[in-house]
Amino acid sequence: MVQNIGSSASNNEDCIKEQDLLLPIANVGRIMKQILPSNAKISKEAKETMQECVSEFISFVTSEASEKCRKERRKTVNGDDVCWAMGTLGFDDYAGPLKRYLQRYRELEGDRTNQDKAGNNEEKDEPSPYGDNQPRNQAVSAPLLKFNAIERNDGSTSRPF
Amino acid sequence: MRQAGTYSGLLAGGMSGRSGPHSLPLARIKKIMKKSGDDVKMISGEAPIVFSKACELFIEELTQRSWMVTMQGKRRTLHKEDVASAVIGTDIFDFLVNLVSDSNHSQDTTPTGTNT
Repeated sequence: MVQNIGSSASNNEDCIKEQDLLLPIANVGRIMKQILPSNAKISKEAKETMQECVSEFISFVTSEASEKCRKERRKTVNGDDVCWAMGTLGFDDYAGPLKRYLQRYRELEGDRTNQDKAGNNEEKDEPSPYGDNQPRNQAVSAPLLKFNAIERNDGSTSRPF
Repeated sequence: MRQAGTYSGLLAGGMSGRSGPHSLPLARIKKIMKKSGDDVKMISGEAPIVFSKACELFIEELTQRSWMVTMQGKRRTLHKEDVASAVIGTDIFDFLVNLVSDSNHSQDTTPTGTNT
């Protein structure tokens, strides 16, 4: 378990919060950097703080989603629950794009698990990095996900791993 | 401002899961979800994927708001105090107030009126 505790001039995290689990600082830092102007700098402590905030965000939304499942007597928290929880907690701006994202993901996953439908694509010999020449995926012509795995549907082991 | 495209995080890197590249590790997200409560028992495969996107949006929003505080201070380095100010000044980030206050020793620092 990786713990990012600022050991420099910052305080001691002697009250370790529940979110000991953090997303990697490199990933978090990259996302931060990409949204800022190119001349912006980010202190290490700011990245660490952001890590903690993200973990708290995940916990916060998951608790809400999980509570909904409990009330509805469902055992599994799914993507819809997560989207719903975000909307409820005030992240309305996220809920819309996330729902569309989830829908596209489901379309792709549904196509992947449908081996008979994948037969349409197996006739294509050349692997295309983007699925814009796959007739059945026109709804997701935007390069949401790489389609390399679909091109490798020559057997049951179509998944990369 | 150089801004990443909506799905750039997905296109970067190689395949990291069934459904393609994501900029945040799904297994880690799932662990954090599981830790959020005892009643979180089962998590569908798509939930961490939704979160990977949501976390990107969250990081982007909090970073942008923090940067506004940085600029108000005429600085070019984003510090954690800027993040704290952004949290305090944004309603939907109320759940983070304790988190940033605990890590912010200068409690006598009154938040600059960055109410949005």
